[in-house]
Amino acid sequence: MKKKVFSRFTMILFVIGLMTAIQFNTINEPDSRDTRDIWEIRQELSREKQLHSELLSEIGTLDDTLEKYDEVSSDSPEQALQETVEELRKEAGLTELTGPGLRISIEPSPEAVVTGQNIEQISPALLIRFVNEINRFNEIDLAIDGKRIINTSPIRDINGRTTVNGKPIGTPPLEMTVVAGTLSNAEKLYNHLNASPILDNFYIDNLSVDVKQPEEKITIEAYDEELELEHLKAVEGE
Amino acid sequence: MWLSILGLILGVSLGLLTDIRIPPEYANYLSIAVLAALDTLFGGIRAHLQQVYDDKVFVSGFFFNILLAAGLAFLGVHLGVDLYLAAIFAFGVRLFQNIAVIRRILLSKWTEKKEIRESV
Repeated sequence: MKKKVFSRFTMILFVIGLMTAIQFNTINEPDSRDTRDIWEIRQELSREKQLHSELLSEIGTLDDTLEKYDEVSSDSPEQALQETVEELRKEAGLTELTGPGLRISIEPSPEAVVTGQNIEQISPALLIRFVNEINRFNEIDLAIDGKRIINTSPIRDINGRTTVNGKPIGTPPLEMTVVAGTLSNAEKLYNHLNASPILDNFYIDNLSVDVKQPEEKITIEAYDEELELEHLKAVEGE
Repeated sequence: MWLSILGLILGVSLGLLTDIRIPPEYANYLSIAVLAALDTLFGGIRAHLQQVYDDKVFVSGFFFNILLAAGLAFLGVHLGVDLYLAAIFAFGVRLFQNIAVIRRILLSKWTEKKEIRESV
């Protein structure tokens, strides 16, 4: 009798143990599996590579600066510092810039003029899209209606008016000036913009865009306001 | 008694080694089933110690309780009422009661033995 009892207990305990172990296995599944396919991994890889090359080029420029410091440090360290400050100001868009580039004029489309339609301001969404399209190219500096676009420039609607850097831009016709670093870059930009479908979006708003031939010397205005960087913090540990 | 523990060890190791998994949405049911099984087990031990153990009651109770608990949880999921809490509560209370009874019986047995030994 007693043996039978224990054999029953053994059986039940075996089942309990099995269930507990299965429950344990189920609950302790690995949190997340890598389910990326080969293309996603490739994209990730290309992103990392791009970052790598950017970092390398940054190291290059910093090395140059260091070298410059070494060269002139014996003569006048102040001058070297001044030069660096000037370079940084130039990079940040705080100085006037002259170089090869092109002009883009945004005008009311002839059809709208002929039919006497109201010419509205260019919308912020369209302007942002256009600026992004131009910024696909490297070494781009641009100004919209005399307002220099820097990294923190807002383009937005304030009280129904499209503003750049907080200042309203005029109704078309208005002019954008772009400095593209090199003449070949400016030519590339010219070709790209002329073939770009974004110009059709302007046409929907009764505007026409005229991208002018690249010129050797285009001057764009300096950013003339105070830089507000209250949300930026220095990276620690560098 | 050692045979029973061997059974437990065998079950756990078999489950861990074969790495069987059930879909996570059924984990709830399995946890209730484990609780029901534990409840039946301690009920059985108590009955055995009180000398009222019945084989049929024990085995049928084991499977019936598991099915009932899982069924209740299933019904609860479909009705939007957390009925599995009822099962957890009932089994939990019974588990504690059974363990308390087992402890008392074992304690009294132990003191009895001690008295017998002292008297000898």
